[in-house]
Amino acid sequence: MRGKAILLVEDNPDDVLLTLRALRANQIANEVVVAEDGVEALDYLFGTGKYSGRDVREQPAVVLLDLKLPKVEGLEVLRRLRADERTRTVPVVILTSSKEEQDVVAGYSLGANSYVRKPVDFDQFVQAVRQLGLYWLVLNEPPPPRG
Amino acid sequence: MAGFGALFEANPLPTWVYDLGTLRFLEVNRAAEAHYGYTREEFLRMRITDIRPPEDVPRPLENLESSRPVLEFSGAWRHRTKDGRILHVEVTSHMLEWEGRPAVLVVAHDVTERKRVEAALRESEELFRSLVERSLVGVYLIQDGRFRYVNPALAEIFGYGVDELIERRGPKDLVHPEDWPTVEANLRQRIAGELHSLHYGFRGVRRDGEVIWVEVYGTRTTYRGRPAVIGTLLDLTARKRAEEEIRQLNEELEARVRERTQQLEAANRELEAFSYSVAHDLRAPLRSIDGFSQALLEEYADRLDKVGRDYLQRVRAASQRMADLIDDLLGLARVARKEMRRERVDLSLLAERILEDLRRRDPQRRVEVRIQPGLAAQGDVHLLEVAFVNLLGNAWKFTGKQEHARIEFGAVDSAEGRVFFVRDNGAGFDVAYAHKLFAPFQRLHPPSEFPGTGIGLATVQRIVHRHGGRIWAEGAPGGGATFYFLLNAEEGKDAREGDLTG
Repeated sequence: MRGKAILLVEDNPDDVLLTLRALRANQIANEVVVAEDGVEALDYLFGTGKYSGRDVREQPAVVLLDLKLPKVEGLEVLRRLRADERTRTVPVVILTSSKEEQDVVAGYSLGANSYVRKPVDFDQFVQAVRQLGLYWLVLNEPPPPRG
Repeated sequence: MAGFGALFEANPLPTWVYDLGTLRFLEVNRAAEAHYGYTREEFLRMRITDIRPPEDVPRPLENLESSRPVLEFSGAWRHRTKDGRILHVEVTSHMLEWEGRPAVLVVAHDVTERKRVEAALRESEELFRSLVERSLVGVYLIQDGRFRYVNPALAEIFGYGVDELIERRGPKDLVHPEDWPTVEANLRQRIAGELHSLHYGFRGVRRDGEVIWVEVYGTRTTYRGRPAVIGTLLDLTARKRAEEEIRQLNEELEARVRERTQQLEAANRELEAFSYSVAHDLRAPLRSIDGFSQALLEEYADRLDKVGRDYLQRVRAASQRMADLIDDLLGLARVARKEMRRERVDLSLLAERILEDLRRRDPQRRVEVRIQPGLAAQGDVHLLEVAFVNLLGNAWKFTGKQEHARIEFGAVDSAEGRVFFVRDNGAGFDVAYAHKLFAPFQRLHPPSEFPGTGIGLATVQRIVHRHGGRIWAEGAPGGGATFYFLLNAEEGKDAREGDLTG
């Protein structure tokens, strides 16, 4: 279980760096796969494009999904991910700077498991990542792999 | 002449014989006595001029001089009875010889009652004629497809003279060709007696070709012994035109409202998009600034001296402050555009909950809280919560340096309605700057003393305004502050009634 990857969908390189640092600060050692836009994220999840040939039976322990993304935006990624049998049960945490009510509602109605606002205060960010890590990687029992 | 005598005596009409020379009555019958009130003896002492009103006396005298036919219908006369009543009579006379002298036999036919009825009829007819002739409503009588009568108003409505219509034209000449089949059928039905009366509208054509809208109310009648239709006609053209104008104006207005609404909606969408990108994009660089400052502090602390570390702390504090400002500004914008949902809100309970939350976050502080129970108002619960978080949060913050801090929520009744207040015994403010309190980014205390963005009270004011109310403040430096607010005078009344029952 600890060997499973974390898919971080994030286009801002600063946020990528800070998230990786926050994960490290929390002793989360899982491999982190970074997708810089929605297309890349979908490619990884479904083994297409840049990731063609990837064994899609192996799905990430959790997807950390930014909402504002180039090409295919976050909510659309979530929608397609929930619509596909292979990825339907993958835990998705929306990780974004927006706390607009419409995003929260849309995120949950599309089947997001959690919704975390990236705080400006890095200490709070580390806290948030710690909670995410504990919950999704330790406490939450993922469903048995299919196939 | 017993036969003649009996006939004379029994004649039901007043009858007499007078001397053509002296004009004296020679004989009268019983009907004359009964009708005129004189006895036979009285009659025989009188002349025929004595039963006429004095002003009529010269007439029969003149008449006498002309030569007379033997039998004459001498027309209408006025007679006077013994008690002075005037009778209208028609007289038939006959020359004869009476006891050797030339005389006249007179039969009088009393037509007083007929005259009275005729006069009444004439009066009544004049009344109705003048009503019809002067009416503003058109009046018509149709028979055999022709106008037997029209009044001046009807002629004028269609631009004709009365004489041009009566007996010369018919309804077909005045009705729009497209509406004629309907009008013709309606007329036929009434002439045939299938319908007694009918009320409907159609288009007419004036003599100058202009199309007008009219409405008729026609009834079956009999004219010269045969069926006809009599009715009234109203010109609705002006009314129709006014209605049409109003309809067009309404349509234009609705179109304009639709257009404005669309513009507003577009502007609103743009604003939403703007707010969204502010929330999302402006915060991202701040996260980098804070995050990497923190990374420097943690990983490169050994290469920085105390001053360098202090600078980095300041960078972090500033980015945090900017993040707060962005959040508060977005909150203010949200308050302005959020849709209102009015319901009964228990303000006392709301205040209690918020103060409990503040206490939990700041457990070392000792604050005396006084909340008047059971205060309620009609309003949007989410917006009111934002307002109370700001007001009570301020009270909490500005009593921070008070040894015996006290925060109060209550209400007083005024002529305008129920006035709520939040009072504290904290730092207060100078009344001279009270007007600045509610403007965004205005602060009356330096951040070193009390932190804050200066948007909280602007947000509260906007929420109160959206509830149709107003807010004002009282205070003194070091003497605490009281914020009074009214949430719509009408609603305040409702809330008070609600308190009595609930």
